Amino acid sequence: MEQIVFGIGITALTGALATVAGAAEDTESNIGSQGDPNSQVQLAPQMGFLHRIFNKAVAGEPPAYGLWCCLGAGLAWAFMAMQLNAVLAIVLGSVLAVFVQGVYATTAYVGRTASLSKFGQPVYVDILKSMTTVTMAHAFIAIFATVALCQLINGALGHPFPLPLLALVWGIALGAAGSATGNPYYGKERQYQNQKFGAGVPISASGNIVRYAEAGERNSIDNGWFTAKIGGSASGICFGLIVFLELWRTKVGAGWGSIAIGVLLILIFTVVDRYIEIWARKNYGPYTEAKEASS
Amino acid sequence: MSAVAAKPATGAAMNPTAMGIGVILVLILLGICWFVSPTVGLMALIGVIIGGVLIGFGVHFVPVGGAPAAMGQAPGIATGVAMLAAGGGLAGLFGGAWAAAAGQTPIVVIITGGVGGGLMMAITCMMVNFVYVFGMGIPAASGKVAKDPITGDSQAEYKSQGTEGHGLPFVSFVGGVTGGIFAGAGGTLIYLELLNLYEGALPTLMQLKPEQVLPIAISMAGIFAVGMFLVNAVLTAYNITGTIEGPHDPKFKRWPRAIVASAVASALCGLVAILIVLPLPFT
Repeated sequence: MEQIVFGIGITALTGALATVAGAAEDTESNIGSQGDPNSQVQLAPQMGFLHRIFNKAVAGEPPAYGLWCCLGAGLAWAFMAMQLNAVLAIVLGSVLAVFVQGVYATTAYVGRTASLSKFGQPVYVDILKSMTTVTMAHAFIAIFATVALCQLINGALGHPFPLPLLALVWGIALGAAGSATGNPYYGKERQYQNQKFGAGVPISASGNIVRYAEAGERNSIDNGWFTAKIGGSASGICFGLIVFLELWRTKVGAGWGSIAIGVLLILIFTVVDRYIEIWARKNYGPYTEAKEASS
Repeated sequence: MSAVAAKPATGAAMNPTAMGIGVILVLILLGICWFVSPTVGLMALIGVIIGGVLIGFGVHFVPVGGAPAAMGQAPGIATGVAMLAAGGGLAGLFGGAWAAAAGQTPIVVIITGGVGGGLMMAITCMMVNFVYVFGMGIPAASGKVAKDPITGDSQAEYKSQGTEGHGLPFVSFVGGVTGGIFAGAGGTLIYLELLNLYEGALPTLMQLKPEQVLPIAISMAGIFAVGMFLVNAVLTAYNITGTIEGPHDPKFKRWPRAIVASAVASALCGLVAILIVLPLPFT
């Protein structure tokens, strides 16, 4: 019994860490404009809309976070093998992984923006200096939280995978959850704030992203501030739920028990999703008359 | 033939010659494995191929909208096909590996992996609709079908002007969960087959006790499972060519091509994974 209570306590802690990681990951990717909405940041200068948005999308979020978390965990594991304290080892490993992220962000911004020089898009050195450090800070939180939760899963809960492999698996899952949940909010709500609320962006408006803020030109820190409220927190809840429920079902039940709990959870989320879909159809209503739309 | 003279490809068309060559390649690779290790190695390779095919098939179910979905211009999840499938499938592999370490039977381990992948996708798909509806005020609408094949909800009038749809209609949600289940089960099957092989072969090869090689066997099987997962997910992403709405999308009919391609790729990768621990008969 004591073992189960201990397991559930650790599970709750990993869920909390995952929530922080998910929120930080989405905010970092939005400041760096790394997710799919980056297509518009890259397209805008080609359509004549020069901007001061950071642009570091060379890889998708899942493989990028898979790399950084795996790197942080591998280094932390090596430090722990050198008899270093686990917390210090994870901090040091994450710091070193963040330097790699910083190099990646710098070269990606310079390279991608330089490729737009024929359209007149300048490389802003002040943007490079101010944005890179902010993305690095957010990446540190995401990597540290992910490596820490992997250490708890490995050390306290006894998962057989070694720490770096666990971090690779959960790093990829973190990027997948964060980009799936957070990208639409950044892409539609922030980049196309000039479009109507409650509708998708018409394809004809592609590339015409919002480039001006309340004072002066908009930059990516403004975007991080805006998306952290809903996109970031939703991504955090998403990844937190994934980690917590995946661990919880294994701790509470074993074998067929954990399968039954998993199936029950899937059914619950299916019902919730259907409720959300019906709620939107009832409360927002159709955009056009059904007859007109089908003709 | 120049690109201008080329006829537009339908996308769903099958090339019987290429499919035939693919099947022959699989048989050749199986033959090589049978020559090297007719019992343990061959069984492991067959398991790996089945796992790879499950992943390749499962990825077709996952509704992926890519960049247009991030602007609410197309339905689906706003990320890449391979990325999302890998996220879901690896979450399943995590659960499956844990069940294997707890000494569960293979069938329980594989189903646990499948349910883990399905659970990850269910949470992600639900949160996608949550953000669309409550964060952006946009209802879900499909661009490929007039009515949702499962619920019968009409779709066209819920598409906003100038878009191909947005969010995840119910059929796409079900597709996402189904894809996660297939992908998670396939990844776990690959892991399990390789783990059994390595647990048996490594003690002799390294002159160590079985309990001493266990961490190495788990790590190697895990890394190969992750690698083969990505191989199959990326192959399928090419077959889908970017985006797919789910099982109701016309692109879904392309799955037989991906099955053959996944079988060939898994057979080759699996053979490499097997040969690193089994001595060749002619050395």
